[in-house]
Amino acid sequence: MQTTYKTKRAERDGPLAAFVRTPVLGVLAVLIVIFVASALLSPYFLTGYNMSVVARGLAFVALVTIGQASLMLLGELDLSLGTIGGLAGIVTGMLMVNGGIDPWISILLALCLGAALGFINGFLTAALRLHSLVLTIGTAGIYGGAILVLTRGVAITGIPPEIQFLGRGTIWGVPMPFVIMLVVLALAVFLTLKTPFGRYMYAIGSNRDAARMLGIKVDRIRVLVFVMAGALSALAGVLLVARLGTAQPSIGNAWVLGPIAAAVIGGVATTGGVGTIIGAIFGAAIIAIIENIIVLFGVSPYWQGIVSGAIVVIAISFDAISRRWLRKEN
Amino acid sequence: MSRFALSVAAAAMLAGAFPAVAQDGTTTKDSYRFVVIPKVVHPWFDKVNDGAQMAAAAIEAQTGATVEINYSAPQSADVVQQNQILESSIATRPDGIAIDLLDPAGNRASLEDAQYQEIPLVLFDSVPPEGMMIPYIGSDFCEQAKIASRRLVEILNEEGKVAIMMGVPSAPNHSIRAECHREVFAEYPNIEVVAEGIDNDDIQIAQQQAAAIMQAHPELDGWVASDAAGPVGIGQAIVEAGKQGEVQLVGLDNLDEMLDLIRDGVADSSSASQPELQGYWSVMLLWQQATGAPVPNFIDTGNAFITQDNVDG
Repeated sequence: MQTTYKTKRAERDGPLAAFVRTPVLGVLAVLIVIFVASALLSPYFLTGYNMSVVARGLAFVALVTIGQASLMLLGELDLSLGTIGGLAGIVTGMLMVNGGIDPWISILLALCLGAALGFINGFLTAALRLHSLVLTIGTAGIYGGAILVLTRGVAITGIPPEIQFLGRGTIWGVPMPFVIMLVVLALAVFLTLKTPFGRYMYAIGSNRDAARMLGIKVDRIRVLVFVMAGALSALAGVLLVARLGTAQPSIGNAWVLGPIAAAVIGGVATTGGVGTIIGAIFGAAIIAIIENIIVLFGVSPYWQGIVSGAIVVIAISFDAISRRWLRKEN
Repeated sequence: MSRFALSVAAAAMLAGAFPAVAQDGTTTKDSYRFVVIPKVVHPWFDKVNDGAQMAAAAIEAQTGATVEINYSAPQSADVVQQNQILESSIATRPDGIAIDLLDPAGNRASLEDAQYQEIPLVLFDSVPPEGMMIPYIGSDFCEQAKIASRRLVEILNEEGKVAIMMGVPSAPNHSIRAECHREVFAEYPNIEVVAEGIDNDDIQIAQQQAAAIMQAHPELDGWVASDAAGPVGIGQAIVEAGKQGEVQLVGLDNLDEMLDLIRDGVADSSSASQPELQGYWSVMLLWQQATGAPVPNFIDTGNAFITQDNVDG
C-alpha cells in the first residue's frame, strides 16, 4: 500500500526527487560519499587488506542489525540482543571446550539458545502487553549476568581449530563472516520485501490495531521476529568466537546501541513501519567505515567519539535536509 | 638543468625513497611511524604514550630522522574493538606496532596478520600468546603484586580479612597479579581472603564494587588491587564509607589519584610499574627492529615502591 503510493509519487516528481526521497538511496548516497572521500584521503583505505578489515568488522554488527531493524519495522526494540550474542558465544565455547561436545552440535545448540532467548523476549512482550524496550532492559541484565555467572569474567580458550575458519577464513579473498552476512541479508531482504510475512511486518509496524482487525496474527509474527533476532545475534556471537579463537565475556558489549544507530541512520524508524533492512546495513557500513578511517587518519582516541559522532550527525542531517528541501520544491 | 644536476637530484630522491644500508648491516630511514595501542583509554596509558613520545624525541635528536607516534586506543576494554584498531593500523603499513594485549588468545589472529605482513611488533605490559615470538616489555607482574600483598600482610601484622580487586580478569597482567596476591595471602594462616571484585580497569566500577564488598564484609581489614584503576576506586570507597585508617589499602601503579591517596593517608603505599619506561622502550625496540638490529625477547622495566616518604621525591 505504502510502496504503491511512493511509486506513484516518484513517477510524478521525477527521478532526482524520487532518488533523494527513497530512504535506501539517500543513505546509499551518503555511504558512497564517505567511501569515496575515505579512498581519496587515505592511500591505505582501498587496499585489499583494509577492505577485508572493514568487511569483517561490519559482518558481526550487521547480523545483529538485521535482527534489530526487523524488530524496529514492527515498532519494537530489543536491548538484550548484545547479551544474547555474548551468552551464545560463551555457551558455544563451554559446550565444545568444557563439555567436549562436537563443535558443530555446540554451534547449533548455541543458535537454538539465541532463538529461545529471543522467544522469551517476544513471548513476555506479547503476554504482558509491555513495550519490548522496557522488558528487554531487564532481560539484558539477566542474560548479561548469566555470562558473568558462567565465566566469572574469564575467557574460555581452546576453541577447536576446525570451526575457526568460520571467523578467520576467506572465500575468494572475502572474509567468511561477511559472506555469511550477505547470505543472511539476502534472505532477510527477501523475507521483508517479497513475502506476505514481510508485508504483515510493515502493516503491524504502521498500525498494530488495524493489522489485528485485518486478521493478521500480530503476536505470532512479533514472537517470530524476536526469535529470528535472537538467533541472528547468537550467530554473530558464534562467528566472533570463531574469529577470536576464544569465547570472551565482553562479546556483544558493542551490539546494544550500534545496531539501533545503524538502523536509524539507514532510515528505519523506531516507531515502526518505515525503512528497509538493506538501508540499515548501509547505515552499519557507514559506521564501520567511520571507525576504520578514524584509525587510518590517526585521530587521537580522545577525539574519536567527537569525530565519529560529528560525521554521523552530518550524514543524517544531509539526508534530512535534502528531503525537506525537495518536499518544499515539490 | 644539466645532466649532472639531474643525476644529483635523482640520487637524492632515491636516497630519500629507499632505506640506506649502514656499515653494520642495519638500515636507516629518514622517517619512521610507529603505532601504540593500549588496552583502553586510560590515564596509565597516557604515561605510556608520554614515554613513547620521549623515545621518539630521543631518536630524532640522535639520528636526525623524524619519528611519528600514532596513539590509538579502544574506547572500552574490548578485545574486538582492540583487534579492529590493530588491523586498521596494520593496513596503514607502519614501521612498527606496540600493543598491550587485552587477551593473548583473542588477539592472536590479528597479531599473526601483522607478522605475516612483516610489521615489527612489541608487546608492553603483557606477555605474548603461547608459541608466538614477540619481544615484550614490562615489569614482573607477579613480583609487583607480591610487593603490594606482602606490604598489606605486614601492616596488618599477619592477621585479618582482606579483599582483592581483580581488574580485567581476562587480561594476562591483571590475572597474574590477582593470582600472585592469592599466593601471598595463602602463606599466612591468619589472613583470610573474604571477597574478590572485578572492576574492568574502571575507577567508577572499582568504587561501586569496593563499596558493595565493604557493606557485605564490615569486618574487612585491607585491600589490594590488580590494576591501576582499582586502588583509586577503592580509596574513594574507603573515604565515602568513613573507614579511613580502619581499612588499609596498598595500591598499584602511580596514577596521580593514587599518589594523592598516599599523600592523604588513605592508602599506605603503592607498588608501581613504570609506564613511561614501558612506552619508551617499546618505541626503542620497534625502531631497532625497523633498522634490522637484533632485539632482546624481554625487557624488565622494574617496579617502584611508593610511600609517603618518597611520593614527592
